[in-house]
Amino acid sequence: MPVYFLEIIVVALGLLILMVDAFVKLEDKRTLAWVGMLGLVVVFALLFRVQWPESTEGAFWQFYSANDNLALFFKGIAILCTLGVMIMSYDFSGVVVDQTADPEPGAHPQAGLGEFFALPLFACAGLMWMASANNLVSIFVSLETVTICFYVMVAYLRRNVGSLEAGVKYLILGALSTGFLVYGFAWLYGVTGSMDLAEISAALAKPDVNQAAALFAFALILVALTFKVGGAPFHFWIPDVYQGAPTPITAFLSIGSKAAGFIVLLRLVSPFLASGELVGKVTLAIAIIAGLTLLIGNLSAIPQKNFKRLLAYSSISHAGFLLMALACTPRSSDASGALSKPVTVIAFYLGAYLLMTILAFLVMTVVRRKIADETFDAYTGLAKRAPFLSAAMLIAMASLAGIPLTVGFWGKLFVFKLAVEQQQWVLLAIGLIGAGAGFYYYLKIAASMYLGTPDPKKQVIDDTPIPIGNVARIAMILLMVGIIVAGVNPSLILGLLD
Amino acid sequence: MTFLFYLFAAMALIGGVGVVVNKNPVSAAFAMILSFLGLAALFIQLNAYLVGILQILVYAGAIMVLFLFIIMLMNVEEEEKRKFPIVNALGGSGVAIAFAILLATVLKRSEIGNAGLPRLSVAEGPGNSDVHRIGELLFSHYWFPIQMVGILLLVATVGAVVLSKKQLK
Repeated sequence: MPVYFLEIIVVALGLLILMVDAFVKLEDKRTLAWVGMLGLVVVFALLFRVQWPESTEGAFWQFYSANDNLALFFKGIAILCTLGVMIMSYDFSGVVVDQTADPEPGAHPQAGLGEFFALPLFACAGLMWMASANNLVSIFVSLETVTICFYVMVAYLRRNVGSLEAGVKYLILGALSTGFLVYGFAWLYGVTGSMDLAEISAALAKPDVNQAAALFAFALILVALTFKVGGAPFHFWIPDVYQGAPTPITAFLSIGSKAAGFIVLLRLVSPFLASGELVGKVTLAIAIIAGLTLLIGNLSAIPQKNFKRLLAYSSISHAGFLLMALACTPRSSDASGALSKPVTVIAFYLGAYLLMTILAFLVMTVVRRKIADETFDAYTGLAKRAPFLSAAMLIAMASLAGIPLTVGFWGKLFVFKLAVEQQQWVLLAIGLIGAGAGFYYYLKIAASMYLGTPDPKKQVIDDTPIPIGNVARIAMILLMVGIIVAGVNPSLILGLLD
Repeated sequence: MTFLFYLFAAMALIGGVGVVVNKNPVSAAFAMILSFLGLAALFIQLNAYLVGILQILVYAGAIMVLFLFIIMLMNVEEEEKRKFPIVNALGGSGVAIAFAILLATVLKRSEIGNAGLPRLSVAEGPGNSDVHRIGELLFSHYWFPIQMVGILLLVATVGAVVLSKKQLK
């Protein structure tokens, strides 16, 4: 099957859900989520059966890269991430209905739910296009498709002030960062005379490249993409938006938006890194941002009380590790091993990050349905009440912290190995401090789940078990198995990258 | 021609400053129209007639009229009474000035006026009209991004309806 069919199927799935929602009277609109989930599973299976084109003539291939395994890997991340979001949305639909609908008398009681299941699919298609984009035009259009989906989804709980505030903040700051991105593209086009990434790369590699202008283009693009991936000092929106957004969408933002930001960053920065004239300055800029991000993300996470805010800072700190890998690009081409390339390390890290973050958010969504509290108090002593959920959360937290035998450990290890190889000692030290702080704040939650006793002053004591839907349970089991198995044998994920 | 360039550039800039400085949203919207007109004139000076005309028709015309309608439906007085702390004003203009200095330095260092920047071939096609050429490019070479924009607009429409409808059906 030609590779571009994947996105077409996903878009068609989204349109199908919109149309069915509009024209068919459904008893329970959550059926639409089933359609989406099944469709995504099929698309994921098809991912392993794609055929690359024999000829890349025609306008289409100017905008869509051919024969690109990295793109396939990122498409896989996008699909799995969307699937996880759909599973969470299914469980979360009660909250969505509560806080969006004010149905007319006689209207469907779940009015407004159908679109909540369709939008992630369009975002997924955008993410997949972005993974294959090899031209400034297609990068920009797919990035905007994804971002606009996110604007809507973040503000989706329109009867909830927090969600609306998050939406407005995200919209204004996101629009500003898009402005920087376009301005950077304009300078890049001015310097190189091309929108095509391969041609840009060739133009930047010439020794007579206009350095000042090229670096200015780079700086503008870096500002915009640092904003998208949540790197310091452009991270201020992350905690507020993550806290206000509906929980499944927070998960989508923290994985989908980050993965998308990094694939675009990799594609746009690699021409600069390949240019002998610019590589030194470019790496220095990325290293400074990476160091700042690591420090701010990890140290601000320590005093947090709200779980979503904690995961927001955690997402900033993971962006720091990923940027650190990017800053450790080998100067010469003699580094031949796959793990000496930041691209492989970043892709592996994102794959690992996908597994553990989805697991953490799945548990959060299920708990949130029963306990409206989003602070850590809701999790104190949870192990007695919900042993399965606590075990899942324990594994997610252990992996996020980077404890051996989890996949998160390998992600961090590969990044540190890269830093040692490139002798980035300062970054390495900051990274180790960050990882140490991570141990503290992730394991604090794990400890309070297992060792803490609920405080009657802070929460209602309730010992009834928390119900888990079957789909969510299966997804959690799969994710736990994935984290452990890939943690014992990381070559399972690395094999996909070759 | 240089004189006209400076005239319209100044118009666009003054309009832009007016949007930020004016407390009355209606005046701010009118300042924005001024800025768009200046921009449109700059596009036309660059031989991009279609882009210039679209700037006037779509932005200065349709979108700004919509803006003004929305502003009139809102309560304007409240916005006029809002006070801006001096710290914010200083911080904001400080960032803008720093960016302007950066831009000036880059322009000076890169010597864009006389450096060997690549010549762009877009404006030098055969004698067809601007509209003709842009239209042909959009629907032949750029057909795929245009399709993606279609999805983007669909999402935006769905989002606007879902978020703003008074009572969902």
